[in-house]
Amino acid sequence: MKIFYQDLLRFFPTKPSIEDLSEKLFQLGHEHEIENDVIDIEITPNRGDCLSLLGLARDLNVFYEVDFKLDSYNSPIPESSIQFKNLSPKIMPKVTFLEIEVTNQTNKYKDYLESYFKNLNINKNNFFTDISNYVSYELGQPTHCFDLNKLKGEIIFTQKKCSEEFKTLLGSKISLSGSNCIFENNSKIISLAGVMGGAETACSARTNKVLVECAYFTPESILGKTTKYNIQSESAYKFERGVDITSHDKVLRRFIKIVDEHSKIKSLRIQTFNEQPHKDNSIEIDHEKVNKILGTSISKEFYIDTLKKLGFKVDSSILVPSYRSDISNQNDLSEEIARVIGYNNISRNPISIVKDIKAGKSLPKNLLRSYLKKNGFTEVINFPFTALSSKDSIMIDNPLDKNKKFLRTGLKESLLENLLFNERRQKDSIKLYEISDIYVDGFEKNKNRKIGIIVSGIMGHNHNDFSKKIDEDYFQKILNKFLNKDDCKIEYINRGDLDTKIKSDIFYAETEVNNIQAENLSIDDFQIASKDFIQYACISEFPSSTRDFSFSIDNLSNYNDVISHLENLSHPYLKTSFIFDFYKNEKLCLVKLGVRMIFQSNIKTLSDDEIKESSLDLLEPILNLDGVSIPGL
Amino acid sequence: MSSFDSIEPPLASIEEGSLHPINQTIDFLMEILTNLGFDQTDGPEIESEMFNFDMLNIKETHPARQMHDTFYVQKKNNVLRTHTSPVQIRTMLNSQPPIALVSAGKVYRKDDDATHLPMFHQIEGILVNDKVTFAQLKDLIYKILLEIFDDDIKVRFRPSYFPFTEPSAEVDILSKNGNWLEILGCGIVNPIVLENCKIDSNLNSGLAFGLGVERIAMLKYGVNDIRDFYKSNLDFLEQFK
Repeated sequence: MKIFYQDLLRFFPTKPSIEDLSEKLFQLGHEHEIENDVIDIEITPNRGDCLSLLGLARDLNVFYEVDFKLDSYNSPIPESSIQFKNLSPKIMPKVTFLEIEVTNQTNKYKDYLESYFKNLNINKNNFFTDISNYVSYELGQPTHCFDLNKLKGEIIFTQKKCSEEFKTLLGSKISLSGSNCIFENNSKIISLAGVMGGAETACSARTNKVLVECAYFTPESILGKTTKYNIQSESAYKFERGVDITSHDKVLRRFIKIVDEHSKIKSLRIQTFNEQPHKDNSIEIDHEKVNKILGTSISKEFYIDTLKKLGFKVDSSILVPSYRSDISNQNDLSEEIARVIGYNNISRNPISIVKDIKAGKSLPKNLLRSYLKKNGFTEVINFPFTALSSKDSIMIDNPLDKNKKFLRTGLKESLLENLLFNERRQKDSIKLYEISDIYVDGFEKNKNRKIGIIVSGIMGHNHNDFSKKIDEDYFQKILNKFLNKDDCKIEYINRGDLDTKIKSDIFYAETEVNNIQAENLSIDDFQIASKDFIQYACISEFPSSTRDFSFSIDNLSNYNDVISHLENLSHPYLKTSFIFDFYKNEKLCLVKLGVRMIFQSNIKTLSDDEIKESSLDLLEPILNLDGVSIPGL
Repeated sequence: MSSFDSIEPPLASIEEGSLHPINQTIDFLMEILTNLGFDQTDGPEIESEMFNFDMLNIKETHPARQMHDTFYVQKKNNVLRTHTSPVQIRTMLNSQPPIALVSAGKVYRKDDDATHLPMFHQIEGILVNDKVTFAQLKDLIYKILLEIFDDDIKVRFRPSYFPFTEPSAEVDILSKNGNWLEILGCGIVNPIVLENCKIDSNLNSGLAFGLGVERIAMLKYGVNDIRDFYKSNLDFLEQFK
């Protein structure tokens, strides 16, 4: 909600600075940003009463002297003879209709009204709608203005199933469906109640006679309608959060006064239909309970004084004002007291919790994670949504899209997708696993926590493993360490069905976490949570380029220097490097080393020349060693 | 000159894999919390509306219960839990105070854009006994934040709204660039929630807190895009060895 500082200031004779007001608003829980004296406040959903200048002034009354007086029409108003039927009184327990006729409209507004449109950058509509919007801004109660000349006969309020098209006063057409709260006139829908009026009865620049509807709708009857019909409605926003059911007379008298300040009123009539007279909630006076909740030692006087300043009446009990539907018990009152004290001003009171840790509960899972990490496996986490279904699948009633309509019943599809994704990113040795709950119809807690493991490619990036492909024997050995053979079968995944040109075998295994045999895993493998957080470096989205070099070393006294150089290669474009081949040629008494360098930039695709230049920079100190060469370079 | 026979092959070390940074963050936070005295528990990700909303005083009128915010499953009979709070309910229904439990896990919201994901992780703690106060809650939150961040971290509490706590607070820390960052939500357990769980709210009170794991992980690791955690990109994941 946006408000203009000067507008709010009208309630405060002491004229606090915007910085001071900002601090107090923040202390009260009204988070906000300020730009050019416009305060953009995020009101929490329970504080619908603060969605107006008056509402904020009421809350700030605890810190400042506030003058709540607003010019209002004080003369008696004759009763209207409007024909109205309320068919859903539980949804709209109270409504007041005001008929006003003026001699003529004006678009020359007084300063305060002009300021509202100008400073908050709000478009003007027509005289009556503009006043309606302003009154809502000032007092928090939305009203709707019908052009009275466009109404004929009885008005009906009802909640019923609708299937017709409704044209809003903004000109958009919406197809009504399901149950809706509506006002009808002459068998036509004239307003989507609490949300938006219709085009057919909307006011225009020529409207001189209006029917102002001022209602209380239950929040649940309005909730969801703007999303359903894709409408922006400030009225609905306020009704969803609750408005003051007792405010109608005050609101409409203020409405009349503003009309009166801008035009000559020819006639006025009013009628209220109240199906459910309001009764204030009452709460016992108990400042000690509040001290017990907060851990403070406030006096009874402070407790009562604070609540009175916030609009509560205190007599033999505490009467909750009609606009505070969020208050029902002593905990609610303690929050009021805490806001006024300031959360940051409540002193800490040392806490100690008696230790009763059931040690080792998550140890098997964590031992396994440590073991897999040591063996080169990377843990992944996937979303559970899938387009695939089986007879046991759980369907999402409102999926994000049609490809995410079901919950996965296993981990294979996600892990296979992860594997193919990384293969496309030129990864040649992939070992992934995921531990996750999966769900099927008839789920039982913890019965379906599974581990899925997938492998493919070469065994590793060193001269021993580089030429070896991951095979079933290797995978079985890994699994045997923590699983009985019967608990987990290795599945060979056929690449024939996959969109890939890579040929390496893919092996997959999945089992319930409950099957893990933790006793075979070494406790030495277990790593406790680290306090050292590595600082992440952005990964490149540009392609990498690989260059292989074959070193021939015939001066063996330089062998260790070559290895040392190769293990410490560093260049801005060098992503990684490793020795993938080692060969001792006894006949020629020389050593051959195969080295792979992978180049990548974070900001561009590297050209061949750039890679060549980088390679030569890296190779130069090695090739300067006596008896070290790269044949053919 | 070295003899040919003495030439040893280079070290062929096995490359280590990595634990997921989100799970590493959970491990880190759970260790802090269990050291403070909390026991660990968990619960299902598919929940009834009763446990996910009703018992937590989230009324039918609350916006979070709408179809555009919550994933409904099994013909609207259940939901994908929108927070880890139902674990509190399950715990309180099955035990009597004193209770001191933490739970970590996946939660779901119908949201998918640059800064929101349909699945993320929360850690939630609850402490119920005969004398819990807001002043103690503040002390606990300070202790947790001092463990997570540096000793000189600046912390502020501000009023907020959660249906299941009253009073409710959000807690911010001051970042290095001078901005306040929202880091967790907490409050005194609403007596309505205690009563829903058959715990006498005249004799007992509780405190609860919840942390967004991704938020902590992003701050600690310096990750700017929350979506990076779930691309399963080895170039990303292998950095967190």
